[in-house]
Formats: sequence, structure tokens, C-alpha cells
Amino acid sequence: MTKKLNYTELLGVLAVLLVLAGLPLMLWHWRTTALPNRYLPGTKIINLTAIAPGGIWTEELVVGYGYWWKHPTRARDINLEQGDHVVLLLHSPDVQHSFSIPDLNIGPVEIHAGHTVEVEFIAERAGEFPFLCIKICGKDHGRLEGRFLVAARQDAVENSAAR
Amino acid sequence: MATATQPVEPVPQEKAAAASKSWRFDVFARWPWLKRLVRMRSFQFLLILPNLIFFYFFLLTGSFGTPVGNRNIIIVFVWILWWVVLIAALVPLGSRIWCTMCPLPFFGDWLQRRATILVRPGKSPGTENRFFGLQKRWPKKLSNIWLQNFGFLFLATFSALLVTRPIVTVILFSIMILLAAGMALVYRLRAFCNYVCPISGFLSLYSMTSTIELRSADKDECLKCKSKSCIRGSDKGWACPWNVYMGKLDRNNYCGLCFECVKSCPNDNITLYLRPFATSDVLIKGYDEVWKASIMLVLAFSYSIVLLSPWGRFKDWANVSETHNWAGFGVYAVGQMLLALVIFPSLYYLSIRLAKRFAKADSVSLKELFLGYSYMLVPLGLLAWIAFSIPLIMVNGSYIISVISDPLGWGMDLFGTAEFPWIPFMPEWVPFLQVPVLLIGLYYSLRGLHKVARKFFPDPAQRLQSLVPPTVLLLGVTLVFLRLFIG
Repeated sequence: MTKKLNYTELLGVLAVLLVLAGLPLMLWHWRTTALPNRYLPGTKIINLTAIAPGGIWTEELVVGYGYWWKHPTRARDINLEQGDHVVLLLHSPDVQHSFSIPDLNIGPVEIHAGHTVEVEFIAERAGEFPFLCIKICGKDHGRLEGRFLVAARQDAVENSAAR
Repeated sequence: MATATQPVEPVPQEKAAAASKSWRFDVFARWPWLKRLVRMRSFQFLLILPNLIFFYFFLLTGSFGTPVGNRNIIIVFVWILWWVVLIAALVPLGSRIWCTMCPLPFFGDWLQRRATILVRPGKSPGTENRFFGLQKRWPKKLSNIWLQNFGFLFLATFSALLVTRPIVTVILFSIMILLAAGMALVYRLRAFCNYVCPISGFLSLYSMTSTIELRSADKDECLKCKSKSCIRGSDKGWACPWNVYMGKLDRNNYCGLCFECVKSCPNDNITLYLRPFATSDVLIKGYDEVWKASIMLVLAFSYSIVLLSPWGRFKDWANVSETHNWAGFGVYAVGQMLLALVIFPSLYYLSIRLAKRFAKADSVSLKELFLGYSYMLVPLGLLAWIAFSIPLIMVNGSYIISVISDPLGWGMDLFGTAEFPWIPFMPEWVPFLQVPVLLIGLYYSLRGLHKVARKFFPDPAQRLQSLVPPTVLLLGVTLVFLRLFIG
């Protein structure tokens, strides 16, 4: 093989390595940098996935590789601080759900299987705010509930007012 | 000798063969730039690289994207778009052109050759190239497509899972990539593609119908050729990964269109021909190929029932991961295997026995007739698959538009179409397209059958008598499909 031809081979190998390393990096970059940059600095981004079997809301991402054998942790209580700017990214890996936080007049928000739905709100009041699925989605529908626990914070009230 | 710029002048035997076959058009002679392109060392790599990017991306999306099939690009692109393009366009028009660009054996080739683009002259068993790995011979008993037959049938049994759960497709492709790489380190050439890959099995069968073929322009030139560089390789091209000697190649089945022989032939004797659809390669050479034809036809029938018919019970039986109806799944799986491996081949065998009896054919053995007439299952099988694929793309094609914007279901909207709704495209036209497609398949099957019969029975009366039972079988199969497609 001549020197010139070796460069061709090198180029081929580099192209393959670039693909192998580049694609996961691109996805990781989107998840960790590009997605948070969509929102105002300081925004609290919470992924909430509704799982029909077992009636579980979870903050973990339910993705292909863990769908069958990974048991996601139930997100019963989600802690917020008063004044937090919250973006909920709602997902469903199975059937259609309908998200609602009745005490904040949020919802019903339809979550179609495989789609991501955004819900944005500011935790203006301290307290407990239950969230739930309000569409019969299976035999465990009744268990699909959780709470946002918003802790009081003096400066947060001022920030909230300023926003 | 054929050159790139002159039309090929066939030798007398070839003229006779061509007259009995049909017309052929020398693509490389007409468009020499195409030959120059194919002879570039980087040609195959440049075709594989985009597919490697896509398939690797699909593996990532299947692993880290939503588990919902119709919102994950791996399911939508592989089992709707790729499948339809493969079966309805690439195979009938381009033979095994998919094998040219398939990324699955890429890493195996890389390990075996220690090169992605360049050719490595040297000595390895039976070749003029330097290969790495153990370079063992593939067992002779397994040098057929039986493994591919059983592999495809096994996968097809779990198809409801495969085409709805992204991770199952990821696991399948990962196993195939690892197996191809492992086998490349142990066995010579592309043992995985030749003998194991379930996709390769049906591509080999249906490539017989294709409108292109790669052949030597002058077979006498091949016989005189001392170097046999097409199969042994040279400093210009790798030894044929499919272990095909161009001097004897008379069918598309086991030519993976890597075009290494075009590069390595010292006599510039390999060319690409255009030819009419489903009329040239009509020779089935082994029982493994007959059973492949049977399996494919039965699976087209079975898929049409499970995925398209209004009979939900079969869908529930096949979809065991959701319904957990293992008894139903057992009935479905065993029934499908029996139909593909025993019942339909028995019906075909019966038709051949009757054909032999009707024709009072003592000069033709049952085996010859059984193998020879089995080509009739090929065009009908391919067109039945195409007919099955029509609703796949017309009804579910709109998923492509949405997943292209949000390939992982993560909430991306790359092209502003992430929330594009599911809209079936003119579903009322589906049967009107399926019926003519199926009838075209029947036509080419009957035509192929007649062509083979002419070889066995020069006497028209005897030929006609021998054609009756297999024709009845073909008509019966077509009617069953028509019943499924138009109710």
C-alpha cells in the first residue's frame, strides 16, 4: 500500500470512528445542553412519565432498553420551592394519559403514547398540590397520582412577582 | 474481450443462450462512468457509510428513545420505510443491491481485512489477499440456506414483537452485527451473509426476479483466465466475499453485488446487465431454496392475516407480549411453522406428483420436476409481499413524517413535523393496488413455469398436461390472497 493510499484508509477509519463517537455525543448534547437551553435560566425541568401497568408516575426516563426489566421508582412526592419556574415534560410509554394538577388549574393535558408534552408553571404558592391522571388508562389508573410539595421561600415570592 | 466503451459482442453459445433467455442491456458499456464509479476502491464504503450512520442512529434511538414503536424512528424507518423500499424496489429492480450497502457485516469485514477501503494483497487460504482471523472453512453440511430459512421463520414468529418494540429490533441487529463480526474472525469470507443472515436468505431467492445481473461478458474469457481474480482476489480487489466464480455464475442468488470482481478482473470482463423482470433466472437448484420459497409465500399469507385482516384473534395470538396468551401464541407459532415447512410443501409436492403422472413423464425425475417447477413460487411470492407492503406504507406512512422530526420521542421538533397526525394515505385504494400487483405475480409465475416446462417437455401436449396441477395450485394460492386482500 502506498503512502497516498494509506491516507484514504485513514480517512475511512476516521469517518467510522467519528460516526461511532459523534452520534451518541450529539444525543447527549441535546439532552444535557440544548434541551435546558430552550428555557429561562434557573428553570426546573422535570420529566414525568406515566406508566399504566402499576399506575406509576416516575421522574426517570422510560426508554427502550429498560422498558421491560427496569422497575422505575414511583415519584410520589416532588419537592419544589416557592417561586420555582417549572417545566414538566410529560411522557407516556404505553397508553394515552391525561395529566392534571387540579389545585393549580392545570390540565387536563393529553399525553399520547410516545409523545412529549410540555407543561409550564410557576410555583407561586407554598403547599401540597396533588397531580394525577384523569383518564381511565387501565386497571391501575387509580394509583396514578403524586404530589408537588412546594416549600415556602421569602425571596421566591418576590422573584415570582418580578417575572 | 469486453471493454467499457464497446458494446459486448456475445460469442455464439451466448447468442443461443441469450435467444432462449431474453434481451440484456450492457449498462457498463452504455454508461462507462458507472463502471469507473464502481471500480473506485471507496465505492462500497461510500455506500455503506450513510447506512452505517442511519443504522447506528437507529440502534441508539431504539435503546434510548421511547419504547412506543410508532414514535421511535427505528421501528418506523426499518419496518415500514426500509422494508417497503427493500421488497418493492431494491430487490425487483436492483437484485441484492442492499447487500452492497448493508452495514451489518461492515465490522466483520473490517476485522477480517483490517481495512475499510483498501485491498490487501498477500496470501490466505484460497485467495491472493491477506485476511486475518482463523480463516476456517464453513462446514459443508451447512453450506446452504437452511439456517437462513429457519432463522427467518423463527424471527417471523416473533414479528409482532419485532415490529412494535424498538428494543427487540435493537437486540436483533446487535446480535447480527456481533455474529457477523465473530464469524468473520473464525470463518473465511462472508460466512454470515452467505449462510446465516435471515435477510440474505430471502434476498437471494427474490433477486432471481431482478431486472439487473452482474455477469461475465464472455464466459470463454473466464475459462481461459489463469488468475481467477474474481474469486481469488488480486491487488485490485478482494477475493469474492460470496465465494462466487464469475465464469460459472448464472443466477443472481448468491452474488452480493460488492463489485470486487469488477475491480479485480484482469480482463475487464465483468459487466452489469439490465434484463426483463422475472424471466431470466428460473433455475432453483436445491431443496433449501424450494423451502425458502414456501416459507416466504406462507409468511406473506400469515402476515396478511395477522397484521391486515379484520380477524383480531390472530393478532392477539401473535402479540403475546401484550396479551400473554401463550396457548394462542403456541397455536399461531406451530400453525405457521407447519404450514410453511410441511403443509404447503406437501401441497406443492402433490401437484408435482400429479404433474408427472398427467404428463406420463418417465424421462424426467420427480426431483428434477420438484426443483424445476418450484420457481413458480418465486414471482408470486415476491409480488404477494409487495401487495402486503402496500397498506403498510399507505396506512402507516405518515408516521415517517412525525418521527423524522422527533426520532426518539424526546420532544424534539427538528423539521416542525413532530406532531404531524397519523393520516392513512388513500386507504380506500389499497385493494385496487394489491389485486393487480398480485395478478402480475401470478402472470410471471405462470410464465416462469411455462419456461421451465419447455426445458423438460419439448412436446407441447405433454408440457400442457404437466402444467395443469401446479397451475391449479398457483391459482388456489392467488385466490386465497385475493380473499385476504379484498374480502
